[in-house]
Amino acid sequence: MILKYTLKTAITGLRTNKSRSILTVLGIVIGITAIMLIASLGKGAQNLILDQIQGMGSKTVIVLPGRQPKGASDSAQMFTDSLREKDFDSLSKKSNAPTISRIMPVVFGAETAVYGSETYRMTIFGASPMISEIFDLDVDKGEFFTDEDVKSLADVAVIGANIKDELFGSSDAIGQRVKIKNRTFRIVGTMPKKGQVSFFNFDDIAVIPYTTTQQYILGVKYYQRLIIQADSEANIKRTVRDVETTLRNNHDITDPEKDDFHIETQEDIASRLSVVTDVLTMFLIAVAAISLIVGGIGIMNIMLVSVTERTREIGLRKAVGATEKDVLFQFLLESVLLTGTGGAIGIALGAILSFLVALILSNVVGLSWEFVFPLSATLIGLFVSGMVGLVFGLYPAKQAARKSPMEALRYE
Amino acid sequence: MKIIEVKNLEKIYGEGDARTTALDGVTFDIKKGEFVAIMGASGSGKSTLLHVLGFLDKHTGGEYYFEGKKIESYTEDDLAKLRNNKMGFVFQAFNLLPRTTVLENVKLPLLYSDIPESKWDALAMEAIDSVGLMHRINHEPSQLSGGEKQRVAIARALILNPSVIFADEPTGNLDSKSGQIVMQTLQRLHEDHGNTIILITHETYTAEHATRIIKLHDGKIASDEAVKHRLKATQFIK
Repeated sequence: MILKYTLKTAITGLRTNKSRSILTVLGIVIGITAIMLIASLGKGAQNLILDQIQGMGSKTVIVLPGRQPKGASDSAQMFTDSLREKDFDSLSKKSNAPTISRIMPVVFGAETAVYGSETYRMTIFGASPMISEIFDLDVDKGEFFTDEDVKSLADVAVIGANIKDELFGSSDAIGQRVKIKNRTFRIVGTMPKKGQVSFFNFDDIAVIPYTTTQQYILGVKYYQRLIIQADSEANIKRTVRDVETTLRNNHDITDPEKDDFHIETQEDIASRLSVVTDVLTMFLIAVAAISLIVGGIGIMNIMLVSVTERTREIGLRKAVGATEKDVLFQFLLESVLLTGTGGAIGIALGAILSFLVALILSNVVGLSWEFVFPLSATLIGLFVSGMVGLVFGLYPAKQAARKSPMEALRYE
Repeated sequence: MKIIEVKNLEKIYGEGDARTTALDGVTFDIKKGEFVAIMGASGSGKSTLLHVLGFLDKHTGGEYYFEGKKIESYTEDDLAKLRNNKMGFVFQAFNLLPRTTVLENVKLPLLYSDIPESKWDALAMEAIDSVGLMHRINHEPSQLSGGEKQRVAIARALILNPSVIFADEPTGNLDSKSGQIVMQTLQRLHEDHGNTIILITHETYTAEHATRIIKLHDGKIASDEAVKHRLKATQFIK
């Protein structure tokens, strides 16, 4: 039988029961729409997160104390004091790590700032002036403290926009003095609204020389992070290697298994987070796929009804020479056409909806969210909806094909 | 030349208490060009006989040769092929596809044939012309009278120029005038084109349009003789 005519027959068959066809295919439409939506939003969320991480720059390498945590609850090693001034000094030497262009020790903690009767709970970020280059920070008023301030353990602070607003309102903060841990700090600069960069919200951060932070606020001798920038992305691996060698040397470690520090590159963080979002997306898609199975059962149900209703037609077709294969093919084509159309509608609907959501998230909510058209989900959606038609149409089509022509013609 | 030959043909439905013998040792043959009426009361087995002869049902005993070949030697697909190009069916209930034009209805057997698509329209037109329905070619069955519907069904049965046309009570659902036109169409096919026709009916009047009448009674042949005074359906020729 010529495909064109089979297709025509199938379309006629579906159009005869237009509203029934539409209702039947609704399950598939919803399922595919959900999958499209999840895939698009999942990808969008992933891009958003990766963007934030990349806020630190892809050349950044972070050295953390303690060995690499072996799992979510393995925090025993996270708060060791293994990173010391000696390490900072060694890594600053070009002979040890020639590819390092910037290196900055970081200590941080939560403290309350007091100004007159106003108080504000904020994050203290002990760093060096390099922070402005590494995190791409700037001051809108005043200036950053200097290397001289770091050396002399000066009591100076550069504060984020939220702290400035809360403590000083609209009045000028530069030159004002705030109390942090009963020590008086002079505000030398304020930062414009910046929002989240990597894991820090810089609007809630007061940047203070790391030496001052160590000595007077935290009372420690170690660093919580060493933030390093390689001179180029290509040199990241080499940088990591040099840092490892230097630190092992400093700490008298011969067995890498016994490292008391670990190194994270932006790439590591990005790939780890991608795994998380990928797994989440897959999980949600699997949930949505259940609706496709339910939809498929609906298709099977309606196709069975249709086969019964058209028993006489089947009998006639067999009487004029249709083989079992011809009848099977006709009904299979009908159900694949039904689910395929549903899949196409679902893809269009899913794309439109995820575009709208992206629009709302970026314009109304204010996230830097970009619409992603999930091409792979589109192809998978079309394939899966076709397969649903094939799988769930097979049983009814077989029933149709098996009908004896005589019984079928006699059917009232 | 014998087109159909049956020997001791048997058809038994059901098992145990529900066992019914529809055909109980029927023997006859039909030659090319014959117009045979099979008569009998309801339950006499005449419809069963037509279904078995037309490969729509299987016999349970005896032998059936179609064009000299035993039908057990054919596969299901062979039988479908034979139904397609050697047989034409006309049913009491017309069995036209709804919401499908006369032209498309008549084309239906071509869909399952080896004939190239380019010839379909011409063949269908020719068949429709031979039943005198060219003016109804784009109508749908719901717009046709009963007699016209049955003539569409005849055109559909004719289209592949079959060896045998099976007509199962073709006038059963028609008024006498339409019935006359249908019978006239069948007679003309028989006389002008030499088609072999097997007609099932319970009316003697209709049966007497044929050349030979086989009477069935309780699944057995009661009589098998030529029609002496053959009726000619000429009254309503347009």
